[in-house]
Amino acid sequence: MVVQRFVAISALIVLFVVFSVTTPKFFTVQNVLTVGLQTSTMAFMGIGVTYVIITGGIDLSIGSVIALSGVVAGLLSRAGIAVWVSFLCGLLVAMGCGMANGLLVTRLSLPPFIATLGMMQIARGVALQVTGARAVAGLPEKFGVLGNGALFRVTVLSGDGRQVVTFPGIPYPVIIMVVVACVFNFLLRRHRIGRFIYAVGSNEEAARLSGIDVSRTKIVAYLVSGALAGLTGIVMMSRIVTAQPNAGVGYELDAIASAVIGGTSLMGGSGTIAGTMIGAFIIGMLRNGLNMQGVSYFIQQIIIGLVIIAAVAADRLQRRSEK
Amino acid sequence: MGEELLRVENVTKRFPGVLALDRVHFELRRGEVHALVGENGAGKSTLMKILSGVYRPDEGTLYYKGKPVVFHNAQEAQRAGISIIYQELNLMPHLTVAQNIFIGREPLRFGGYIDDRQMNRQARELLARLHVDIDPTTPVYVLPLSKRQMVEIAKALSFRSEVLIMDEPTSALTESEIDELFKVIHQLKQQGVGIIYISHRLEELKHIADRVTVLRDGKYIGTYNYSDITLEELVSKMVGRTLEHKFPPRTSSPTGRKIFEVKHLTRVGVLHDISFELYEGEILGIAGLMGAGRTELARAIFGADPKDGGEIYLRGRRLEIHSPIDAIRAGIGYLPEDRKLAGLAVEMLLCENITMANVEEISSRMGVIFPLRERKVAEHYVRELDIRTPSVYQVVKNLSGGNQQKVVVAKWLFRKAKVLIFDEPTRGIDVGAKYAIHKLMDQLAGQGIGIIMISSELPELLGMTDRILVLHEGRLAGVLRTRETTQEEILNYAAGLVSALS
Repeated sequence: MVVQRFVAISALIVLFVVFSVTTPKFFTVQNVLTVGLQTSTMAFMGIGVTYVIITGGIDLSIGSVIALSGVVAGLLSRAGIAVWVSFLCGLLVAMGCGMANGLLVTRLSLPPFIATLGMMQIARGVALQVTGARAVAGLPEKFGVLGNGALFRVTVLSGDGRQVVTFPGIPYPVIIMVVVACVFNFLLRRHRIGRFIYAVGSNEEAARLSGIDVSRTKIVAYLVSGALAGLTGIVMMSRIVTAQPNAGVGYELDAIASAVIGGTSLMGGSGTIAGTMIGAFIIGMLRNGLNMQGVSYFIQQIIIGLVIIAAVAADRLQRRSEK
Repeated sequence: MGEELLRVENVTKRFPGVLALDRVHFELRRGEVHALVGENGAGKSTLMKILSGVYRPDEGTLYYKGKPVVFHNAQEAQRAGISIIYQELNLMPHLTVAQNIFIGREPLRFGGYIDDRQMNRQARELLARLHVDIDPTTPVYVLPLSKRQMVEIAKALSFRSEVLIMDEPTSALTESEIDELFKVIHQLKQQGVGIIYISHRLEELKHIADRVTVLRDGKYIGTYNYSDITLEELVSKMVGRTLEHKFPPRTSSPTGRKIFEVKHLTRVGVLHDISFELYEGEILGIAGLMGAGRTELARAIFGADPKDGGEIYLRGRRLEIHSPIDAIRAGIGYLPEDRKLAGLAVEMLLCENITMANVEEISSRMGVIFPLRERKVAEHYVRELDIRTPSVYQVVKNLSGGNQQKVVVAKWLFRKAKVLIFDEPTRGIDVGAKYAIHKLMDQLAGQGIGIIMISSELPELLGMTDRILVLHEGRLAGVLRTRETTQEEILNYAAGLVSALS
């Protein structure tokens, strides 16, 4: 894991340098903030799924929960309910999905893959049903603030009376990302619940025989994943000021990819938020940089696939040589 | 004794930072059982892997049937006639006995189809050679461990093996299964197979071993005719000093105060109406054959398995135990038989394992962990229990078996357990560390803790306990005073030949 982290950090730095040199507009304030903005949603999802993966589980429902929470927030908002209340409701629905995942995995002892595969279908189905598969548009202007607003935006009045932006400000999603990463990093490393999550993932039976409430621990992990998927959904829909029931298809795989690139083991028991953040930035920066270079989306897919394989292969090769 | 089969001279093997074998000699003759003994880390496994082609020596030569040979991998050695049976057997549980024996070498019919009838017939012949009664068409997962071992041996024979290496073959077998295994070993000797036998249980060597080679810290100590050496001499050569006593003297003794009581504990089909009591400072042994319900009894008390009836009292107060959480809150600790599977999170740090059952104690009411407090707690127990580790931030996986067991003990001490259930506390632990664990148990009893100790090794029970409960098929067959009983008496109760209580 240590090696993989080292490889991941190096890859991140190399990417940054390469793109800065080869792409003229890459290393600008505007673009760096854009990368942050684009990475933020990946980071939310990645952090959530990292919790689940450390317990030895998996969450395939993330993409669908994104759509459901965004749609709920959109519909309520359009119905005239205050934007922040509708956001909160979207978040609660997402947490409900996470809770349900956790209960299915613990109370019914379903394999996490199956439980969350089911939830993936259900949440998507509900999102499509309640919207009639149509995008929810015509939302109040305030709906877009969370995704499009920025802090410390600096503008000056130019000679001809127009507002000119000198510093675009730090987008709210980037600020939320920093807060979320810090909070969930703290919980994982310094809080009891984090310790329990690692213990359950390392050796479930030993954890149980040490008096750790294994079920509750797992439920918390799925709850975190659900909540952060919900946050992702709200931020995403807010950015386009439209709630899309088709949004987020396949995003759970991006989330899993960022966790894995950052050194989280699918076997459970290991993984860190810092690693996942690095993983999320690698994918985000690759997408952004390759876009600016005019590389097609398909080629981007290929490259990201190679990065996932290379990151984990480096770790495996290292382990083999240790033997 | 027969001609020489296998010989290594001056074999040296280095791993990064470790000299695993330092100019070691070993020689095996046809038709002999040559025991290889040494503490954990002595180099037994490394030597074994060199003999079986897994590793190549850095220096030194391997002679097989008088000729120098180099094996590039285990398959080459196996084809030449050297087979190894690992402690954790390498069978595929969902395939049949015959399929396992001939995996990759199935007899084929014309067109490449597997000739099942031929395969089963050949398997039956091999098993008959061992005088064991196993149907080659049964899937392996239904067989008990002892039978699986026989399948492994049959598989080795199917390669026409002339050298058979057995790594701790008896560690999971009952007394009667061990007898069965020894019969098979005698058969093989007569057929001219040379057997290298690795075991922690020195007592059992007297039944089979012709010669014994001792390794210590990767060095060759010597090879002896088994009849020329006493067990005490052997142990002192292994540990490099004389162990005056195999067991530490008991300094503690039970007080009159009853601390723990089990009444009519029943789990349908597993445990039947078991009642006993435990006193402060007492070490109570639980004996029984495999399948007698020893571990099941411990797990039922601890709430790890459900129970169908019975009452449990701690200091006269009745406990409602539905899960390990209840048992732990009440002050009961359980040290499971398989440390790595159930006792420890081996990928986690030493300090994290010590505090695992009592994280509340090192965290704030809001759940924030205080790293400094955790380190102090861990350092305290590392000192008190003499856990050998470079730091409390060591990954538990890297500790030796004895030290790992101490970490589990530390976990329960930190939880302030009043009753500790040790399930096979010294299994797979080397001689010196066994002594340390036994001494620790005595100390704990001296602090007034009630100790229940499950063990398959009768000498251990006789050496350490005050009383011994003997289970037979899930029932309490007898309660014996350790000072007044013998190995034979315990076995009679365990085998169901006598019962004091029926």
